[in-house]
Amino acid sequence: MSIEISHISKSFGDFQALNDVDLKIESGELVALLGPSGSGKTTLLRIIAGLETADAGSIYFHGEDATERDARKRGVGFVFQHYALFRHMSVFENIAFGLRVRPRKTRPSREVIREKVMELLRLVQLEGLEKRSPAQLSGGQRQRVALARALAVEPKVLLLDEPFGALDAQVRLELRRWLRRLHDELHMTSVFVTHDQEEALEVADRVVVMNKGKIEQVGTPNEVYDKPATPFVYNFLGSVNLFHGRVENGHAVIGNLQVAAPEHANRSETQAVGFVRPHEIDISRESTGTGSLQATVTHINAIGGMVRVELEQKDSREFISAEITRSRYNDLDLKVGDVVYVTPQNIRVFVEDYDFSI
Amino acid sequence: MSETRQLTRNTTEPLWVRVMLITLALVFVAILLVLPLVAVFQTAFQHGVKPYLAAINEKDALAAIKLTLLIAAIAVPLNLVFGVAAAWVLTKFDFKGKNVLSALIDLPFAISPVISGMIFVLLFGRTGVFGPWLIEHNIRIIFALPGMVLATVFVTFPFVARELVPLMQAQGREEEQAAVVLGASGWQTFWRVSLPNIRWGLLYATILCNARAMGEFGAVSVVSGHISGLNNTIPLQVELLYDDYDFSGAFALASILAMLGVVTLILKKLLEWRAGIKADV
Repeated sequence: MSIEISHISKSFGDFQALNDVDLKIESGELVALLGPSGSGKTTLLRIIAGLETADAGSIYFHGEDATERDARKRGVGFVFQHYALFRHMSVFENIAFGLRVRPRKTRPSREVIREKVMELLRLVQLEGLEKRSPAQLSGGQRQRVALARALAVEPKVLLLDEPFGALDAQVRLELRRWLRRLHDELHMTSVFVTHDQEEALEVADRVVVMNKGKIEQVGTPNEVYDKPATPFVYNFLGSVNLFHGRVENGHAVIGNLQVAAPEHANRSETQAVGFVRPHEIDISRESTGTGSLQATVTHINAIGGMVRVELEQKDSREFISAEITRSRYNDLDLKVGDVVYVTPQNIRVFVEDYDFSI
Repeated sequence: MSETRQLTRNTTEPLWVRVMLITLALVFVAILLVLPLVAVFQTAFQHGVKPYLAAINEKDALAAIKLTLLIAAIAVPLNLVFGVAAAWVLTKFDFKGKNVLSALIDLPFAISPVISGMIFVLLFGRTGVFGPWLIEHNIRIIFALPGMVLATVFVTFPFVARELVPLMQAQGREEEQAAVVLGASGWQTFWRVSLPNIRWGLLYATILCNARAMGEFGAVSVVSGHISGLNNTIPLQVELLYDDYDFSGAFALASILAMLGVVTLILKKLLEWRAGIKADV
């Protein structure tokens, strides 16, 4: 089932959680809502589920207006960050709940419910634990029970609020891969909220990057990582270096570095910031003229396949973080205090008329 | 072993301080709690078991016991429903005036029970706000059972809500929301999710509410008519007998209330122990 969100706004008192948000989620997609806390991602998810009412705007499920539809009639599965399992019920009863509360006419028989629950337990790999109480399960197991409970009512949409947020790193990694496989098996439209960019980029078909109640960018993981639409996305997805300078006549000038910035060709002289990822910075012993900046090595971290080098730019004293391969590092024979030249391989220039705080 | 000893010594007070504090506490408990309790039973049984049973079997005493039970049987279920509804509304929904409602629930705790009784006299008494209308329709509230039930309900109103609000607040709203998304109606959500989650707290609150309902003196005293055998509850009858110098009668009835108190405490402890085990799992 496709979901269309149209001009949704929502505020809590003075706090504007969502500001005129538009988004279309295709049927069968796995979409991540990614953003820092307070960006409105959870509010958007809860509005889709009907747990929160939008102040303005509409929601369409499969082209039908569902804005006023009651949460219990939306046919969505919702997985809460802290599981929200029914604490006084066994695992079995938790999963069976959605079927048991159906009106008599559509309620399956005892045997059918039992079969269904057992099948779901197999799916979430918790066979044999149906008699346990939620308190007797680990965090990862509880989350899988919560997922099974949501799937029991055969929802057309699965919504997950920070599903792995409360788990430790190892379990997190396992569960998110498992979620991806599960989605590929069931092909259910799924939306999950996360503040972990790695999680979003690894699991989702498409990533929706949110900030301050607005959508900054929607795209595949590759698109948002390689072609960030805004400075915010650039900064939020992975680490990044900032070079302060100016643009004039389609060129960005940062210290004695000059790069072409054709997207700003129509601008007269304006303050600008260049964004470069650490792995897009090359270090050399010789200057390449207007293509490089002089800098001093301040710290070297040579653990693992990539070597992280921290440098200080000579003119502006700005901090630069670079990642080079180990063989390149060995060729250069770098030591702390060396004066070298850094060359940004791929620089993205934004003029300074945005609000850059996260 | 020596390490623990060292640690204990460093973190506790000297022996004489501990002995002094413990003795002080025990002496206070003995004088203020144990001694009076023993005295109640001792005075009640001072002429033996037979006069004790006779004093309880007396017509007016039986009437007082029956009336007390009747009032509690009406007031406690009413407050159970009110209290659960109030706690449910306060913890699971957001609305304007929520803080006012929350403060109002505490009102009966804040004002003297005698004043609570007076309020009902002022409202429903002969010269009260609704007095003339009530007389016209031949309805008696003050100096009758309805007034005593009203006063008891008023005084014991906060017990259930105050017990449940922190509990329900701690449990949050997510389980209810999970139930709703799974298709449960409001009624199903309440009976299958909310109520089972608060059952121990509810039982605990009921016991406390009941003890207070049976023991209430001030408010009920104002709205009762003190007519022995008709509208005297146990506490009122105790006062009446005591004023008539019928000490063994007074103390025999008092011992019933005292026993109720002891049973309440034991039940309360048992429930806490039970709930503690639950929470540990």
